[in-house]
This record gives sequence, structure tokens and C-alpha cells, in this order.
Amino acid sequence: MGKKTAFRLGRQLLRAVVILLLVCFVSFSLTVISPIDPLQTNIGQAALGSMSPEQIEKLEQYWGMNTPAPERFLEWLKGIVKGDLGVSLAYRQPVTDVIFEKLSNSFLLLVFSWLISAAAGVLLGMIAGAYRRRLPDKIIKTGCMVLSSTPSFWVALVILLVFSVWLKWFPIGFSIPIGVIAEDVRMAERIQHAVLPAAALSLTGVASITMHTREKMIEVMNSDYILYARAKGMGMGKILFSHGLRNVLLPAVTLQFASVSELIGGSVLVEQVFSYPGLGKAAVDAGIGGDVPLLLGITLLTSVFVIGGNLAAEILYGLIDPRLRKKEEVSKT
Amino acid sequence: MTGKRIQAFFLAGVLAGSLLLTACTEAEENNAANESGTEKVQTESAGESVPESEQDTVIVAMSPEAEPESGFDPVYGWGAGEHVHEPLIQSTLTVTDENLEIGYDLATEMECSEDGLTWTVKIRTDAYFSDGEKLTAQDVAFTYNQLRDSSSVNDFTMLESAEAVDESTVVFHMNRPYSIWPYTMAVAGIVPEHAYDETYGQHPIGSGRYLLTQWDQGQQVILDANPDYYGEAPEMERVVIVFMEEDAALAAAMAGQVDVAYTAASYAEQEVPGYSLFSCETVDNRGFNLPAVERQTLEDGTVIGNDFTANVNVRRAINIGIDRQELIDHVLNGHGTPAYSVCDKMPWYYEGSQVEYNLEEAQALLDEAGWKIGEDGIREKNGVKASLEIAYPAGDSVRQAIAADCANQLKELGIDATSRGVGWDEAYTLALSEPLMWGWGAHTPMELYNIYHTNADTGLAEYSPYASETVDEYMDQALEADSLEESYELWKKAQWDGESGITQEGDIPWIWLVNIDHLYFVRDGLEIAPQKLHPHGHGWSIVNNVDQWSWNNQEG
Repeated sequence: MGKKTAFRLGRQLLRAVVILLLVCFVSFSLTVISPIDPLQTNIGQAALGSMSPEQIEKLEQYWGMNTPAPERFLEWLKGIVKGDLGVSLAYRQPVTDVIFEKLSNSFLLLVFSWLISAAAGVLLGMIAGAYRRRLPDKIIKTGCMVLSSTPSFWVALVILLVFSVWLKWFPIGFSIPIGVIAEDVRMAERIQHAVLPAAALSLTGVASITMHTREKMIEVMNSDYILYARAKGMGMGKILFSHGLRNVLLPAVTLQFASVSELIGGSVLVEQVFSYPGLGKAAVDAGIGGDVPLLLGITLLTSVFVIGGNLAAEILYGLIDPRLRKKEEVSKT
Repeated sequence: MTGKRIQAFFLAGVLAGSLLLTACTEAEENNAANESGTEKVQTESAGESVPESEQDTVIVAMSPEAEPESGFDPVYGWGAGEHVHEPLIQSTLTVTDENLEIGYDLATEMECSEDGLTWTVKIRTDAYFSDGEKLTAQDVAFTYNQLRDSSSVNDFTMLESAEAVDESTVVFHMNRPYSIWPYTMAVAGIVPEHAYDETYGQHPIGSGRYLLTQWDQGQQVILDANPDYYGEAPEMERVVIVFMEEDAALAAAMAGQVDVAYTAASYAEQEVPGYSLFSCETVDNRGFNLPAVERQTLEDGTVIGNDFTANVNVRRAINIGIDRQELIDHVLNGHGTPAYSVCDKMPWYYEGSQVEYNLEEAQALLDEAGWKIGEDGIREKNGVKASLEIAYPAGDSVRQAIAADCANQLKELGIDATSRGVGWDEAYTLALSEPLMWGWGAHTPMELYNIYHTNADTGLAEYSPYASETVDEYMDQALEADSLEESYELWKKAQWDGESGITQEGDIPWIWLVNIDHLYFVRDGLEIAPQKLHPHGHGWSIVNNVDQWSWNNQEG
């Protein structure tokens, strides 16, 4: 059996590598055909206007505009194999440094909102499912419908307006307080700065988790074992947590791990609204600015996240639902 | 429009507020978690937002584009490039004053040789880097040689080498005469040779008015006054620059978290309690080119020229047929000044460039050119309709609005004018045959040169086909001039020498429309020192003289 698991893992890994390669290739091709002039966006039309043609030529060289695209891609791939992601053209620092810096800002935000949306989603979904067609269900369902049809940046704007501008409970943006030296920044302040963006980000994820959990919960509530439990006189709370939770967790976990990509996508917009200096913002800037090494580096990293998320979901299935483990063993033998 | 916006925001807020309270437990969690923390939070934000208690700190919100991605390294464009400003952390040899004329910072005297190929600059001897080392001519030479080798946004191709002949004298050997070298010196911050490496931009050491205390990339920069600065000690001890999008900057002002917030004309009507609008005049201009040659296809397949605009009377008619004040009122909500050249109010600006709006004369000029009004109200000549498509960079809403307004105004002249958004990848080529809405405005006459001077390869100007031997000659002479004053006169003559040039009476190959005011919300009580004309770009210029800003106690 150990051999089989190893084989399975190997196959998964191989598949992951192929996917990564394809992702790199596609995103590189997109940067090649995108109508972006790196000089224009990074240097600016007015700056170019006061330069001599010689200087412009030097800059075109630097931004790789005179090197054929396949050559650039191969150069980049060669670096990757050696574990070198290259140097960001805009930041003039190694891509790994830039990504690390941005990721350390985003990390808190992403983890926060990921956990919040999972916990809140499962809880709300269970309540809605348990009280189907009654008031709590109606409120939750309406809320989710509205939320899932609302773009995350708009939610972010509203939250910003209400809690920062009107109520002044939270800072207007950033991951740290304005004008305070780094050593004097307390963890509490960092968290305070992450609360609003994390809330905005998790809100968009909450809706789908809630609705899926609700469906599953309804199914569970109609099952014989719940009927039996009720007949025994078991209280609602106990029913929910000893019978409901385990059964609804499976779709929730799948969704939550698969939604890592959505989370990162959503973070791009939310970070923009809250001036939060994370990975999402860096990706947008790199894309618009034609900073190909940085863009590819971020793409690579986020694809690893997404693939990793899916893989983790698959592994977790077995832990949560022993039947799946069994099934696999049966089908493989 | 703004009223509607507020209304929409309000509705949105109410809707989301009720949603948050009813549907989401985590919002409740947050609220609950916060209720205990509210007091603390409020006192904290009070500390942040009431600088009256901190009389020597100022917080300025700027566009994220103003953040120097590659750091505060003059070699990689800090202080120069698209948006020219004083590097604050480093000193420069020269500075530009309020009239954009040259003054001294590190330099004490400068001299150019007869042939224009050698510049000798003496520097002051009391300047020290913030690490205690003395700033010498060696550092200056090192900086300029670095700039020549790896400058990312500034043009140093005219410099052959820089050499320190003694402790306080540096000599620049030039490849070609360059009389406006002092303007280049004004944007090149001096770096220390002993402490310069690839990571300098992250931890700059300079001799300027401020020290970089902290840089949180993507968020803020904290600058503290340099206690060892050789000049007058800055009044503002600490300057905090935060980088935010326009909406966020407005929100930050409304929440009282910044003292100065940049904004755009479309937000300028907003009332922000405790703040007032501060408007800076600029040379940040917008205008479009009119290809001045007949349509033709070059060997490489590029189409250049435009049969309609090749006629000088057509170009003259367009120049006086556009009401600039209307543009300013409609598009910029009044926050702008009419532009008549690429360099309005600069020392090298020819004042005769100014024209009056005159629709009748414009009509007459078009008639004279043979373009007669047809049955449908559109002018035509030899069966060809008078049409013009003004392109603008897609995504630039201001240029889009200006282009659309110009097209509308040109229709009154009987020209079938339209506007269209294009990407920058095709814009440059397109501009060779059609008008494009440009934005310029640098603190150097080189811009004038590059827009109107012919290119050796093509015999035509770089951005829009035009050629004039006289204009070329004056500008070449200007670069070879012995003094700046002399060069100013020659730059002016290039614009109009009494017989030919690029103004209304001349060839008028470009139409200049407006200079866009740079707008800021400024907290009441903050005195911002007088600004020099801001260049293109809405960034660091505002803090050029932040050391002279002050808080006015009475109002606080």
C-alpha cells in the first residue's frame, strides 16, 4: 500500500509540474501579446520626450524589447531550473525578495479571511439548513444572495466608508500605522489594520460556503439517523454538532481549498481599495508595468498555492471521511 | 455628479450596514472585539490625526505611482524622469528656482568652456553625508559616471566623463555641447562613493535636507530632518509620505488621517470639513499633434502624414478654433490654465505663442485653404470630406474628455472630428498620421527639442512628422550657446523669430490646449510654501520645499 501511495503522489506531482509549466508558458505568451509598452508605463511618455534616441535604445535593451520572445522565455526557464527567479525589472531586486516582502504583508490577510470565511460559512450554512424555510434561513439566504452578487471591491469600499471614514474605528488603509517607526508598531496595530481588508475579503467567500453547507445540511436533516436522533429526544445543538458537522464539513473543505485561487484574486481588488501592500497589488503593477520576471514569479507562486490547495483538500478527504479512504483501497486492489 | 455619488455611497452604506449586522456573525465578532478596543483605537487615531500637538510633522498622501519602485537612488531615476522633483535626501549641484531659473545648491560657481565641451563646477566644502563623511568632488564625479553608465530614466548620453580635479572642483567632459547642462545637474542627486552599492536605493545616504528613516514599500516613507544639513534647518522635523489611490486619499482626508491629500478635478467639488482645496499651477500640459506632411507610406510600410492637416491654414484654423477656456471649464471644472506651447511660463517660453479663440477667423482660414462647407455641414475639398480622428491613450479619463471636447468643438468648424482610445503600443505609430492627445511638461528645454527638432534618420521630427531648417538651426545653436541667457533667447527664436517658427503665424505643427492644475486637500492651519510651476506628473513636486512648511497655531 505504501508503494501505491507513493505512486499516486508521484503522479500528482508530475501533473503539478506539467500544469505549472503550462501556466508559465501561457502567462508569458500573454505578456508578449499584451498591448503594453514597458518603456511607456515605467519611464513615462513625458520622460521619454526629453531623452535622446541613444538613451531610449539603452532602455529598450534593459527592458528586453529587442530580444525575441522565445529567447527570453528560455532564459527565464533556465533560471527557474537553477532556482533563480530572476531580477524584477521595476524594483531592481531579486524577484524572490520582492515576493517575500509582499507575501509577508498579504499572509496575515489571506490566512485571516480564509479562516473567517470557512468558520462563518459553515456555521451559517448549518443554521440555515437546520432551520430551513424559517426566519434564520431566510435572513441568511438573502444575505448570501446579495453578497455573492456584489463585487468584492465594492463591499470593500462600503466597509471602508462606514468603519473608517464615518465611525473612524479603523485606519483608512495600509498594514501599519501612518508615521510610526517600525519598532514602535505593536502586533495589535497590525491586526487592527488587517481587520477591515480581511473582513471584506472573507465576505465574498462566505456566501458560497454557506449555500453549499446549507444544501448538505438539508440533506442531512432529512436523513434517517437525524430522525432517529430526534426521536431519542436529542437537542438541536447536539444534533448539529455530533451528526451535522462531520457530514457537512466535506463539501466545505473542498470548496474552501479550491477557493484559494478566488481568495488571491479577490485580494488584488481589496488590497487596492485598502492600499494594502500585498502580493495582489504587486501582481497588478507587474502586469501593467511589463515587469515580466516579477509577474511570472508571482504567477508561479500562486499556481503552487492553488495546486497545493487542491492537493490538501484531497488528502484531507481521507481524514474527514473514512469511507473515502476505504473506497480507494477497495478500488485499487 | 458628485451629489449622486454621495447619495449612492450613502445608500450603499445603509444597505451594507444592515447586511453586516443581520447576516454576518463575523462582523459581530469584529464589532464585539472592537468594542473593548474602541477607546484605545480612538485615542490612537486622535494622536495620528491631530498634528496640532505635533507641530513639526506633516503627512502627505501621494499617488502610488509616485513611489520610486527601485528605491531612492538617483542613478535609477529618484528625482528625475517622468516627474522631476528635488531628491530631498540627496543634494544636487544646482537647483531650479520659482521662475525655473538656475540657482546653486552644492555648486558655488560653474563655468563652461568656449567650445561648450567642458564644464567646470566648484562645490561647497561644508557638505557632509549623513554617515559623517565629507562630500567631495570625487563623489560628484562618481555619481555622474554612474549616471552615464546606468541611468534608467535620465539622459546622460551627452556626458563623456566626469573627473574630480581636486577636493572641490569637478570637471565634466561632454560628447557634444549642451548649454542646458545646469538643468540636468538640478535633478541629479549626489551619492557617496564609499557607501554606494546595488542596495543603495533601499538605504540611501545623502547630504540633503532629510534622512530616510523608514520605507514600508507600497505604503509609506518616513523622512526626518537631517541634523547635519549645511543649509537652513528644516522647519518640518518629520515628513510622512503615504501612497494611496485617489479614492483612498480622499477617504483619508475625510477621516482626518492625512494633512495633505492629492486629488483630481473630478473630486475637487467635495467638501472635506477641516480641509481646503490647494491648487498649484503647472506646465503639466495636454495637447495634440497635427502631422504637417502629406500622407505617404515609408519603405518599412509605416504610414505617415495627413492630407488634411498638411495644410498650414488648416492647422492655424484648428489652433484658434478651439476654445481653451471652455475645455478648462467643462473637463477640468475650472482647474487649469490655457496652454499655448509645451513650455508655458518657462524661461525659454516665447510669449507671442498665445492666441485668442476666434471661430470666424478659423472658418475663413479653412475657406482659404479650399475646404468649403458641403451640404451636410461638413467641409470638403475635391470630393474629400474634412475629417479628423483624435486619438487618446485609453484609460486616461482626462485626456479622453479633452479629446472628446475638442472633437465637438471642431465640428463647429465643419470638420468631421471624432475621438478614439488607443493603447500605447500603437499610439506612437498612429500619431505619425493622426492627431494624438499628449501630455508633456518637463523642467528642461530638451522637450521642445525632441518634439520639434528633426531626427537625422528620417529628416522629420520624432513624434509627429514636421521639419523646419530654421527651427532646427536655432535649437542646435541654443544647445551650443555660451550661457543660459543666450540659450533662452535662441529657444524663443526657435518658436518664433519674426518670420518663421512653430506658433500660429508659423507652422503650428502642435496644438497646445491646457495646463492641468495639481490639486490637493490641505488641512486648515498648514502653511504650504510657494510652489514653483509643477512639471508633468502629480507627485513629489509638492514637497520640494516641505522644509519651509509650517503649522499656523491660531487656526489649530
